[in-house]
Amino acid sequence: MLPFVRPASGVWAAPMLIRGRLAVLGAAVVLLVGCTTHRVGPARTYDDFERKARTTAEDSLSAVETVRLLAEVSASGDAFGPYLSVSVSEQEDTLAGIEGDFASIQPPGPRSDALRDELTPILDAASTHVADVRVAIRRGNLRAADSVAAPLSADADALRTFLEQLG
Amino acid sequence: MKKVLGVALGILTAIGGFVDMGDLVANAETGARFDMNLAWVVVVGVIGIVVYAEMSGRVAALCGRPVFDLVRERLGARFGLANLAASFFINSLTLTAELAGVALALSLLTSVNYLFLIPGVALLVWLVCWRMPFETMERIFGLLGLCLVVFAVAVWKIGPDWSELLSDTAHPHVPATDNGFTYAYYGIGLFGAAMTPYEVFFFSSGAVEDGWTAKDLGVNKANVLIGFPLGALLSLAIMTSAHFVLAPRDISVDQLSQMALPVASVLGRVGLAVVLIGIFAATFGAALETALSAGYVMAQYFGWPWGKAHAPREATRFHAVVLLAIIGAAVFGMSGVDPVQVTEYSIVLSAAALPLTYFPILVIANDRNYMGDEHVNGRFVNAIASVYLVILVLVALATIPLIIITKGGQ
Repeated sequence: MLPFVRPASGVWAAPMLIRGRLAVLGAAVVLLVGCTTHRVGPARTYDDFERKARTTAEDSLSAVETVRLLAEVSASGDAFGPYLSVSVSEQEDTLAGIEGDFASIQPPGPRSDALRDELTPILDAASTHVADVRVAIRRGNLRAADSVAAPLSADADALRTFLEQLG
Repeated sequence: MKKVLGVALGILTAIGGFVDMGDLVANAETGARFDMNLAWVVVVGVIGIVVYAEMSGRVAALCGRPVFDLVRERLGARFGLANLAASFFINSLTLTAELAGVALALSLLTSVNYLFLIPGVALLVWLVCWRMPFETMERIFGLLGLCLVVFAVAVWKIGPDWSELLSDTAHPHVPATDNGFTYAYYGIGLFGAAMTPYEVFFFSSGAVEDGWTAKDLGVNKANVLIGFPLGALLSLAIMTSAHFVLAPRDISVDQLSQMALPVASVLGRVGLAVVLIGIFAATFGAALETALSAGYVMAQYFGWPWGKAHAPREATRFHAVVLLAIIGAAVFGMSGVDPVQVTEYSIVLSAAALPLTYFPILVIANDRNYMGDEHVNGRFVNAIASVYLVILVLVALATIPLIIITKGGQ
């Protein structure tokens, strides 16, 4: 039987408990705020808007390139239908979320309008092309996925050019 | 063969600790976003977890009692309660992420929406916790999780320039596309994932479940020295595969399905099947660990009978907590929260609570009343453990500010 050893003294144990509660509370707040997908804040200046446009373009490029890679893997027979179908759908949902979020940001001025007018058609085109790939894969045209995904190459280039222009 | 199976606890714990839902996403994400510039964190993490898991296993083997049981006794009820609250909260988040991870893996195999699969997964996890003997559980899921070795095979098949890869890994820097805060945020996430508190709770409770005694100190060492480095190796393999396949295409990882893509593109259907089985086993194993850890910490704090060695009717409160934790996590997972973000927050918040877990282990491992003169920490172990304790405190202090500054790593 092991001896019972002294408990923690109240001098430092009580603040420790309070800090623990605060940490848990803080963590809960951070979690509730943070676990919302595609959260958007307002853009009060052009710089804010440009930053959000950059993030939107980067995230969209990731989704487009993921679908291109999935299409390549599909065409070469390196993956099975359920995996491809779910993965492409996830990227389609991601892209729709990104596009919706960007559309909901109020542009603060005419310069922002121009940026918005440049990016929105690229996102629209990418969404349509990703949807085409999803349709092909769900119909079982796995081998043809890369030809259906071919227009995504231009979408990816357009997004990269957009990002380069932002500097 | 018996010796090989003897390290199953370490392998299961390490698979759960290093390649659970959080690590799968975090490693692929950092590999795709930061190339190999954060690989050093995995190395730092594995040394830390080896040192502290060895201590917790030694304490459990010598005292026949797990770490959490002794925390309350040695450091008092209030400290124990703060530790319990933080651990239980983070453990519940991790359990949510793991249940969603299992459902997502099944979804990739079946095309069924993962939200519909979560209740079935939760039921299965509960049944295994309720009915399957501990030894069988650790062997099945620990060894099946080794399917993730397929990531290392994929890296080998890519045929990288190993000296260049090693050089990149050994000379980390903050990429021009990111800032120091984001780099630190992801570094802390990886560190938190490597040293997740439930690993030591599960490992030490598992040691008691396996009936370790002083004679098993060698098994303890073998478990931590084989299991955890193996888990770290898998982590690095996932990171490296993402670095080679996803980063050049500007793909950032925000879905579990993306982390399997490098393997599919390099090894084809067989590789993809193996990796999905590995993801299923690793996340399922981690779900078991976190579900049982919920019961372990609660029962050990309140002094209730606990463990799978007891018939359920003898440990009703332990099994009730496990069941409620699973139900709570399943309901939260089905509420529509993004499982990948829950995962990310759970590992980053783990980092904030690390000192609460590891400080008491260090105290107890140095207490001759518990360990005897022969088995207390030596100077070398204490030196390393103390350095790590300082790192843990710094990491804990930096976590919440970094979450706010980087808006969750954006």
